[in-house]
Amino acid sequence: MPYLGGEETVRELKRALSNPNVQSEPLRYRNTVLRVVRAMSQGVNVSGLFSEMVKACATVDVVQKKLVYMFLCSYASLNPELSLLVINTLRKDCQDPNPMVRSLALRNMSNLRLPSLVEYVEQPLTAGLRDRAACVRRVAVLGWAKLYNLQSGSDIDAAVVNELYSLLRDPDPVVMVNCLRALDEILKEEGGVVINKPITHHLLNRMKECDVWGQCEVLRVLQRYRPQSDDELFDILSLLDASLVSPHPPVMAATLSLFLSLCADLPAVSLAALERVSGPLLAACGSGSREMRFTALCHIQLLMRSVPGLMGPHFKRFFCGYAEPAYIKQRKMQIMVELVNDENVSMLLDELKGYCTDVNTDTAQAAIQAIGHIGRSYSDRCLEILTGLLGLKQDHITSAVVQTLRDLVWVCPQCSDTVCSALEGCEETLQDSQGRQALLWLLGVYGDGVSSAPYTLEAFIDGVRSEVSLGVKMELLTATMRLFLTRPAETQDMLGRLLHYCIEEETDMCVRDLGLLYYHLLKCGVEETRNVLQGRRSDPSLGVLIGRPAEPISQWACSFNTLEPLKKGGTVTQTASRGSPEHEASKPKTAVELPETLDCSHIHTDPPDSASTGQRSDSAAELPAASLTLSLSPTLSPEEFERRWLQRCSLRSEEAAEESNDFLQTEDRIYCSAVLQRSPQTLQAAMQLVNIQTLAFTPPSTLPWRVFFYTHTAGTPASTLILGELLYAGEADPTPKDEEEEERKADGEAAAEELTGREDRQVEVKVTLKQQPKDEEAVRAFLSVLSTVLHTLSSERHDEHAATHV
Amino acid sequence: MSASAIFVLDLKGKVLICRNYKGDVDMAEIDHFIPLLMQQEEEGMICPVITRGTVHFMWIKHSNLYLVATTNKNSNASLVYSFLYKLVEVFTEYFKELEEESIQDNFVVVYELLDELMDFGFPQTTDSKILQEYITQEGTKLEVAKTKVPTTVTNAVSWRSEGIKYKKNEVFIDVIESINVLVNANGSVMSSDIVGSIKLKTMLSGMPELRLGLNDRVLFSLTGRDKGKTVMMEDVKFHQCVRLSRFDSDRTISFIPPDGESELMSYRINTHVKPLIWIESVIEKFSHSRVEIMVKAKGQFKKQSVANNVEIRVPVPSDADSPKFKTSTGSAKYVPEKDLVLWTIKSFPGGKEFLMRAHFGLPSVEKDELEGKPPITVKFEIPYFTVSGIQVRYMKIIEKSGYQALPWVRYITQSGDYQLRTNA
Repeated sequence: MPYLGGEETVRELKRALSNPNVQSEPLRYRNTVLRVVRAMSQGVNVSGLFSEMVKACATVDVVQKKLVYMFLCSYASLNPELSLLVINTLRKDCQDPNPMVRSLALRNMSNLRLPSLVEYVEQPLTAGLRDRAACVRRVAVLGWAKLYNLQSGSDIDAAVVNELYSLLRDPDPVVMVNCLRALDEILKEEGGVVINKPITHHLLNRMKECDVWGQCEVLRVLQRYRPQSDDELFDILSLLDASLVSPHPPVMAATLSLFLSLCADLPAVSLAALERVSGPLLAACGSGSREMRFTALCHIQLLMRSVPGLMGPHFKRFFCGYAEPAYIKQRKMQIMVELVNDENVSMLLDELKGYCTDVNTDTAQAAIQAIGHIGRSYSDRCLEILTGLLGLKQDHITSAVVQTLRDLVWVCPQCSDTVCSALEGCEETLQDSQGRQALLWLLGVYGDGVSSAPYTLEAFIDGVRSEVSLGVKMELLTATMRLFLTRPAETQDMLGRLLHYCIEEETDMCVRDLGLLYYHLLKCGVEETRNVLQGRRSDPSLGVLIGRPAEPISQWACSFNTLEPLKKGGTVTQTASRGSPEHEASKPKTAVELPETLDCSHIHTDPPDSASTGQRSDSAAELPAASLTLSLSPTLSPEEFERRWLQRCSLRSEEAAEESNDFLQTEDRIYCSAVLQRSPQTLQAAMQLVNIQTLAFTPPSTLPWRVFFYTHTAGTPASTLILGELLYAGEADPTPKDEEEEERKADGEAAAEELTGREDRQVEVKVTLKQQPKDEEAVRAFLSVLSTVLHTLSSERHDEHAATHV
Repeated sequence: MSASAIFVLDLKGKVLICRNYKGDVDMAEIDHFIPLLMQQEEEGMICPVITRGTVHFMWIKHSNLYLVATTNKNSNASLVYSFLYKLVEVFTEYFKELEEESIQDNFVVVYELLDELMDFGFPQTTDSKILQEYITQEGTKLEVAKTKVPTTVTNAVSWRSEGIKYKKNEVFIDVIESINVLVNANGSVMSSDIVGSIKLKTMLSGMPELRLGLNDRVLFSLTGRDKGKTVMMEDVKFHQCVRLSRFDSDRTISFIPPDGESELMSYRINTHVKPLIWIESVIEKFSHSRVEIMVKAKGQFKKQSVANNVEIRVPVPSDADSPKFKTSTGSAKYVPEKDLVLWTIKSFPGGKEFLMRAHFGLPSVEKDELEGKPPITVKFEIPYFTVSGIQVRYMKIIEKSGYQALPWVRYITQSGDYQLRTNA
């Protein structure tokens, strides 16, 4: 930082420092030194005073010593030769009877950070390790760490390392903790301090003596220890139990971290630990310091990835205070969205609605997005709030609402009518390009439902010359094209004008190319254009996966209690993207708590309850593939799933599929009650139990109701991949199916089941399976597993129905 | 945790004081801190961690200062923030107020403290009671080589030095409870809790052994006694002097107290508390003309108790003008810079109900931007009363010289974060 008059100051200070009159008066001398240090911290380059300052350290005044040492440490690297002069004074101070002086000298000696001086520092440091005063030993221990840090890669002196290990038994707890820190630094290359059983037990016993910082250090280091037996493990865990609920958030977090690493193979214990810390973590969320509150919130989000319901009963604790900073409010909202359930949804929505008018526009927009996210499961209530917000006529609110509506309607197309009626008049309040882009997209796709759509587009087209946003121009072009297909009469003229402008006048190449592309497309005929623009898109319901699946703890345990969780933007508001709606689907996570493969045969031999399923499983047991083994790995990403699924669709249309050797597609029907009302989580958990990975759901009680899933069958002759879809399109036809399908049912028992099914309010769920490579027996076995799962689910709720149904 | 360096900056980002502990992060990196912070502020995305390349800045703000820790490790966030707050705590105990001026004026002490608080990026001696033993502000007056070695640095009882003498041996115990309440616009209590703290002012000679008895529910159920009201404390946090092992085994709070003032323990009680001062408000806004405010305050505590210095802050639109007030007691004042009406009631007896009416004019031209809905906040203090019912049942003081000492106990309940949302 430039400092005016710096040179003048330095000259004047130099004069004063070398003035014998000043030197003879201790107080004046010290004040001059003080002025040097003050100038230094103000950014003046006072390195020219080095030699004068070296002289000034030969004093009995401790305060002056401290100031001079600090100066010397800051500039030592610029004056390595002169620094040698200081070493003498420092070494003399190391012999001082006053331990404070000794520790001061030792600390600064190791702070000089000059490789050339290492040889002079080693001897006092060695002596320091054996000093009577604990404060000297503390400094000496860390001094060794500094020394090795300075010359990393140099040989490690085994004697020092041994001495440091033995100092772990030092009566002073800070010396002990510093030893851990120093050894960690010195043995960095070898993986840090070695923690064996005696050391572990020693550290655990002495942890109570340490302050918060020391406890955290001990807990961190102990993560390296692997107990030799379960008994030992549980002894350690019970010793740690008290600090798990420590009122000091850092200690609590460090203990949990240790718990998770010790119990990596014991998911049940880890989960119990998470439950146990939820109290202290919530307390930390109410801490006086907002940074601590923020940290606690971020860590709660981490925990909720594995235990989504952890904070369920405490949802009110995440309500925002008026004066809280935006970063806290946004995290709290992300958590609130995750906690929504039938009981609290109206309260949470009321609360979020209040934040939509927050003075901080980002908070307001985040609140609107959060409501949109909840809208995927509770669309009616959320749409009411969102459309109500449009009435405020605030540009940032309207923009966020329109974007949220666009994202919502993409995954819940059934909302489109409400959205369309809300759109009228929005264009007047929209200012930013993101919001206008969203509006244009909606008008393009749902323009037939918005009576004023062509007029709105026309206004945009009239102003296209002054439009600066590239995104808006591109979106305008696409939207006009789409609207032309649904409302040609009103749009044709303006489309012509827009295309003319884009091709002839527009300077941006992207817009021009897009214009040309559409122009040539139109020349191919309207039908062709329609095929392209309104062609089949990926099924939006594929994307709706309500509530993320519980992740195994190991997914995040390593980032717990670091900076990591603070940096990641949360999961909810960020995914509600601001660009064009993108295909969203959670990545399926293989649950490590479950065995990778599961022998399903026990499911057949152990029928849930009813005789019918029993009968079915008996027949299944007769099949040769009864010992079918399913497995979740390798995982299939949603994108990959979709690609394969659609690829198979096209194949079928060419009627090649049935014949193809390596591919099998079958359809079947399973009758079950109540499955539709089960929450997706339950269904998913049940499917996972038999190693079927569900990828996507429609929200419960929407029609058509769909589930997509996949699994791998392992076994002879080769393992196969099965992709599947469960579909319930509405009330089953009383006389369903053509004969072909009847025939395809191998055992024919389904017909009987169907009869009973009809009496029993059962619904007919269509199963479509695609298998590759073809293995009919595996498919049949798989079908029986699948129907067992579905029946189990139904019977859980409707035991009595299940009974009669048999 | 390991912080590489600690900086104290003024609001413009000028480094007032800094300490390079590890030397593994370029000290010039700090010049990027304020620009990055400003950029985040503009984008409305402020975050307590700022990352630039491999360097992380973790910062807190205190009055007109930023305290920043830099690190290039994936540090333990909560520990670094705890340390920064510890710095604030220590500095505040030294200088009363921690602000730019006090840093400038106490330059030397700040450097000395930074030297002791941390070494090589690891916190060392952070207890201000210990630090005050050997780093004193009198140090600026000349004193040739302090020969006195503070016993506390090596002592078994690190928070108290030996040989303390008082003519009259006394200990003052303050039990202070703050209540946090959030009430929704429709009058339902969204959340409430009590944060309690027991503070000591010890003026005792020698090395006394103290034992504090509270009406702790766990203790009472442990010993099978059941006399009157007990209190269930959560999240109990003790001063390091309290023997935790004894508390864990038989809930006895026994300790050798630090000399002078200290916080012995704090606790939280998560119960549904009836808001002690209940506010009903009607705020009617007639666009382009006026705002009518009616606030009713009711003391929902015992008739014998009195709330002192009650301040009720009612938000008003920022463009309101020409205020008119009528109060049944106390006085109301318009605070335009904070856009609120401040209604002060010196003494507010329990069970009583008071009323305030306010009238503001609004300009005929309405402004465009949306305003937030700030809540009504209340401040008060009720002496001789704890809302949780916690009581000091005894305080035993034993010193080997056998002197008699008197414990004095005082109870206060006060408002913490006390917010009532309005419908306006």
